[in-house]
Order: sequence, then C-alpha cells, then structure tokens
Amino acid sequence: MENLLHTVVLMLEGTQVTLEIFFITLLLALPIGLLASLARLSRFRPLSLLMEFYIWLMRGTPLMLQLLFVYFALPMIGVMLPDIAAALLAFTLNYAAYFAEIFRAGIQSIPKGQYEAAKTLGMTYPTTMRRIILPQVIRIVLPPVSNETINLVKDTSLIYILAMNDLLRVARTIVQREFDMTPFVVAAVFYLAMTFILTWLFKKLEAHYGKYET
Amino acid sequence: MGNTRPDSNVMLRMTDIRKSFSGNEVLKGIDIEVRKGELLAIIGPSGSGKSTLLRCVNMLETIDDGSISIEGEFLADKGVYATGDKARRILGCTGMVFQQFNLFPHMTVMENLLEAPMQVKGMKRKEIQPLAEELLAKVGLSDRADYYPSQLSGGQQQRVAIARALAMKPDIMLFDEPTSALDPELTGEVLKTMRELAEEHMTMVVVTHEMAFAREAASKVIFMADGNIVEQGKPEEFFEHPREERTKAFLRNML
Repeated sequence: MENLLHTVVLMLEGTQVTLEIFFITLLLALPIGLLASLARLSRFRPLSLLMEFYIWLMRGTPLMLQLLFVYFALPMIGVMLPDIAAALLAFTLNYAAYFAEIFRAGIQSIPKGQYEAAKTLGMTYPTTMRRIILPQVIRIVLPPVSNETINLVKDTSLIYILAMNDLLRVARTIVQREFDMTPFVVAAVFYLAMTFILTWLFKKLEAHYGKYET
Repeated sequence: MGNTRPDSNVMLRMTDIRKSFSGNEVLKGIDIEVRKGELLAIIGPSGSGKSTLLRCVNMLETIDDGSISIEGEFLADKGVYATGDKARRILGCTGMVFQQFNLFPHMTVMENLLEAPMQVKGMKRKEIQPLAEELLAKVGLSDRADYYPSQLSGGQQQRVAIARALAMKPDIMLFDEPTSALDPELTGEVLKTMRELAEEHMTMVVVTHEMAFAREAASKVIFMADGNIVEQGKPEEFFEHPREERTKAFLRNML
C-alpha cells in the first residue's frame, strides 16, 4: 500500500512534465496554426507555397524524428536548447501544422455569401475575419481540434527518448526497478483521466459555440 | 455641389458596361440609369447577365470596361475603379439583399442589425439600437429580435436581411433575386416589405422573376438576354405591348 502511494507520488511528478509540455504546446500551436492557415490561404503565392511546404514537412515525417532532429541535430550546427525547449519546439511546429490544416478546412467551409454580405455592409477583411468568419470557424473545427488535442496528450509520451521524466518514463523506470506492472496501470488511468477531462471540456465548448444551431 | 447639376436626381448610372468570364462575354455594353425614388426591375432568363450586372454595382464583380457612377461620383470610370476611402464611401451608399439571405448565423437577429453600424461606422449600441428596433418593427419581426437565423423561416430571414441592409442607411437598395430561394407561400411577405420600401421612395434595383411584382411596383422594367438589354420601358407598356419577339416569348413563358 505504502509502495503504491510512493509510486503514485513519483508518477504525479512525471505527470507534471507531461502537462507542462501539453499546455504550452497547445497554447503556442493554436495561434501559430491559425496564422499558418491564413498564410496558406493567402493570395500572395510565395507565402502560400512556403506554408504548404512547411505543412508537408511536418505532416510527412514522424514526430519522433522531428524530436530527435531538434534535440540532436540542432546542437551540431550550434543551436543549443534546454531539453524542455527542444521538446516544445518540435511539438509546437508539428501540432501547428496539423491545426493549420484543420483551420484552413474550417475557413474554406464558410459560404462565400458570408464574405459578400460583410463586404456589402462595408466591413474590411480583418473585421470580416474577426467578427464574421472565425466565430463560425471555431464551431466547425472544435471536433477535429478536440481529436488532435487528445492525440497530443498521448504524444507527449514520445519525449521519453529525450530522457525527460514524463509520466510514461517514470512508470517504465519503476516497472524495470521493481518488476511490478502496477505503474503501467496507474499511467493508463492517468492518461484516461486527462482525456476524460478534455472530452468533457470540448463537449461543453461545442455546446457553447453551437448554440445558434437548431 | 450635386444640386446645381441638371441630373442631380440620377442615383445610379452605368454606361457601356462590359464584362467577360474567361473569354465569355456576359455583359455586352449595358447602359442603365436609375433616378431617385425609382424602382428598376431587371428581368430575363437565367444566364442573361442580370445578376452579374447588379453585382457589378457594388464591386462583388468587377467590370472590364464602362463607367459606374453613384450619386454623381464615379465608382468606376472607363473600367478603372476608385480605390480606398473613396470607393468605400461610394459603396456605402448601397445596400444589398441576396438570394440566399446570407445572414450571420452565429448572431441573433438584433446582433445582425447592429453589427455593421457598430463595426463599420463605430456607433455605440445605444445609438443604433432605436433604429434597429424601428426597422425590425417595419419588417414585422419585433418579436424575433433574440432569435437566431436558423430559428426563422426563409421569408423571415429575408426580411431580417432587408432590415440589416437598411440599418446602414443606404440610398440605393440592390435586390438579387430576393424571393428565388423561398417557398412560394413565403414570397408574399418579402414582396410586401419591398413594396412598402418603394412606397417610401427608396431607390431600388431589383433583379427578379416575380412578374406581378415588377408590373405593379416598378417604375421601369428592363428585359435582358445574352448580356444585352433587349427592351425597356414603363411596366404598363412593357407588359401590355412588348415590341420585341424575344420579350414576347419570355413573357408568354412566365405568365
């Protein structure tokens, strides 16, 4: 019993690292993804092509490889980052690319008539995006964003390769030391708890932003 | 300034309007003139260019050549558009009602009316609310102020769209087939609202398939086909004594 308590305490510390990566990545990747989607939709061709390339690169290679690249390859060209910053850089760049594609699809699903109505009422492009288009996009992208967010909770476990003590790595260390599988079960419960909370939160958000639909 | 000019009553003038979509000429040199308080009805088969012509008035489409002046100011002069603040000021004189209503679905009826005056004109809510309430009463929807568009019938949505355009106090109202997306039993309420506007001497350009409405409410009717104006005139003579074969054939099919 005491042993289990000790295990849980250790794993809570690991959870803290996991949550840190999760929240900071989300906080950075969402706005960057939005900007990237607008750039991707830009009529300025070079910008749009650059974004297409970035998205292709991020979605076309494993997140694990991107983590290793940031962690091991960047120092070789003189860029030294603290462990956590390296992990955050890779996670943010990767998730921003996925969010960008989600937002792009959302923006493109808004009927042309909404832009036309805004234009004939005298609204500028920034006003139209801020007041008319994006509030409707939020409602549309919530389910896929929810999906990605839940993926992110689980993807944080990849940082074990960077020798950071996240939830899963702590669990594995204890398992290897004590030949007891309980920590894996505890880890599963922790991940499930986090995704449960997220699922509930997104359900609330969908109801809030969807209140205009009958 | 405008008062001294002999044509100061001309609200909208389009001369020699030409427009092509990828090599296909849809407007082949159109001239129209709408005077203050007039209701110009534009009718014609689909593909005749009538909606495109209307959409050129407020730059939803751009013309290739020709001139557009609104209340004496050039929005486009020989194919070259005004830009920046000048264009915005001229376009501010027009209001538009769409076939598909295009209400903002995430806003209530009242918010739809308040949005542009507050965001574009920078008005305070309490400054614009009285006019918004008055306009909702006028279109008979005072009791729907807090509804979302999805909770309204098509006819009610279109009346909200009319009120939303009017909230910007336009001098000219443009209607692009305002009843074409409605069930037949709902067109009446929208046409009634439009008639009332006409009775208040709002200057209106209406692209429509509603022949009865054009006949009763219009000051002038234009019949377009294949990018040309085939025939125009006062509604009585236009509908009673059409001169062109093309017009006669069209009216036979419509009535």
